[in-house]
Amino acid sequence: MINFENITLRVQQQTLLDGTSLHLAPGDKLVVRGPSGCGKSSLLKCVIGMFPIAGGSVHVDGMELSANHIPQIRGRIAYIGQEPVLGAESVREALLLPFTFKAHHGNQPDEKEIFQTLERLHLPSSILSKPSKRISGGEKQRVAIARALLLGKNIFLADETTSALDPGSKAAVMAELFRPETTLLSVSHDPDWIDACNRIVEIRHADLQETGKGDGHDG
Amino acid sequence: MTVDLSIPSLLWMYALMLVPLGIFLYLRLGVARALLIGMARMSVQLVLVGLYLKYIFQLNNPAVSLLWVAVMLVVANLAVLSKAGIRRGVFFWRSLAAVAGSTLFVSGWFILVAIRPEPLYDARYMVPIVGMVLGNCLRGNVLSLERFYSGIRQNENEFTTYLMLGATLREAIRPYLRRALKAAVNPSIATMATMGIVSLPGMMTGQILGGALPMEAIKYQISIMICIFTAMVAASLANILLSLPVAFDDHQRLREDIFS
Repeated sequence: MINFENITLRVQQQTLLDGTSLHLAPGDKLVVRGPSGCGKSSLLKCVIGMFPIAGGSVHVDGMELSANHIPQIRGRIAYIGQEPVLGAESVREALLLPFTFKAHHGNQPDEKEIFQTLERLHLPSSILSKPSKRISGGEKQRVAIARALLLGKNIFLADETTSALDPGSKAAVMAELFRPETTLLSVSHDPDWIDACNRIVEIRHADLQETGKGDGHDG
Repeated sequence: MTVDLSIPSLLWMYALMLVPLGIFLYLRLGVARALLIGMARMSVQLVLVGLYLKYIFQLNNPAVSLLWVAVMLVVANLAVLSKAGIRRGVFFWRSLAAVAGSTLFVSGWFILVAIRPEPLYDARYMVPIVGMVLGNCLRGNVLSLERFYSGIRQNENEFTTYLMLGATLREAIRPYLRRALKAAVNPSIATMATMGIVSLPGMMTGQILGGALPMEAIKYQISIMICIFTAMVAASLANILLSLPVAFDDHQRLREDIFS
């Protein structure tokens, strides 16, 4: 599903990862841990071509991350950061934004589908008419996830997604992202999140090391 | 014909500069030196242009006039890139194509379709019209390029979000392109809307001082305003679109090394 082969990531002179490999199978729920600045977020961003790879290769669904495949790869993955950007005036416009692009023309969801998706994420339908800037951080995250679900995405890159959520919202988000059919590559310090993952990988000395639960050291 | 300004008369005009200079010194604005340098440069440059133009008009040779136009285009292009804060080495040819293409098309339209002088390449029309169109669309080009790239740079997360939602590069840049073009054209639209009431435009004033009838001068003024506006919009859009292939890498990331 997502394969990192001998990848090297660098920031200026610092080597974050040095020729290391990692393979995610469909349905894997993997959390990456490690001290601040060790390259966790960069690892997530490199999957979608937003962080340059200094060496090695990344494959998603058998497609190598390259100029030719980048649009298809981005089309299959949802990236949910700590502060998602909705990129439109109102919440309704934000949800429908992707369907204004050629890649998703004609696939616009109907009202019923939108309401059901919002409900699954514990969001009231009245939020649709609210300005994107006026909703809380937790609501923004759930709207971003709702948008990804409406696009039918099932590979999620989640960077500290639950850090600003109340317990109710967190449960709703986790219920969606931890469905059996989704593949999840994440960064989190949240014990509940880490518990829910079936794989834990730690960045140590510029290497990715798979650890058992309760074996990691976060910064 | 205009009353010729004698050298003593011109010196009296320079004397008027003592007013702003005195204010700057009194308020210690720290711009007096810059003002003097600016004044000196303006004077020398205009004297040189006066001399060049005298010979260019006397020669009235299309090759010489075109060479002068080419010099103006190159200098204008360098000024656009430098003020927009992006690297000349990366964008020079693309920006030159946008600025030259738009300016020459619009000026050519004005001269060949509307004025039709005898001969068509008359330097008295070609050089000042190209110069005026070019000079006035510079600001629009600087604004649009600067706003476009700084907009994407400051909203990197938003831009990335568009790409992640399936937008092509052209689709993802559209909000920034819109904002950049608006910033470029808004001042010109405001100027046009108040022209004749709030301000008497330079070209028209010059022609009237030169002895032209006001109605004749107005027709030229309207035409030149249309030329300037059209060239500015076309050049601003072309400049941004032509710059895209070198400003983004093959993963649609904005290259940091394009900024100067």
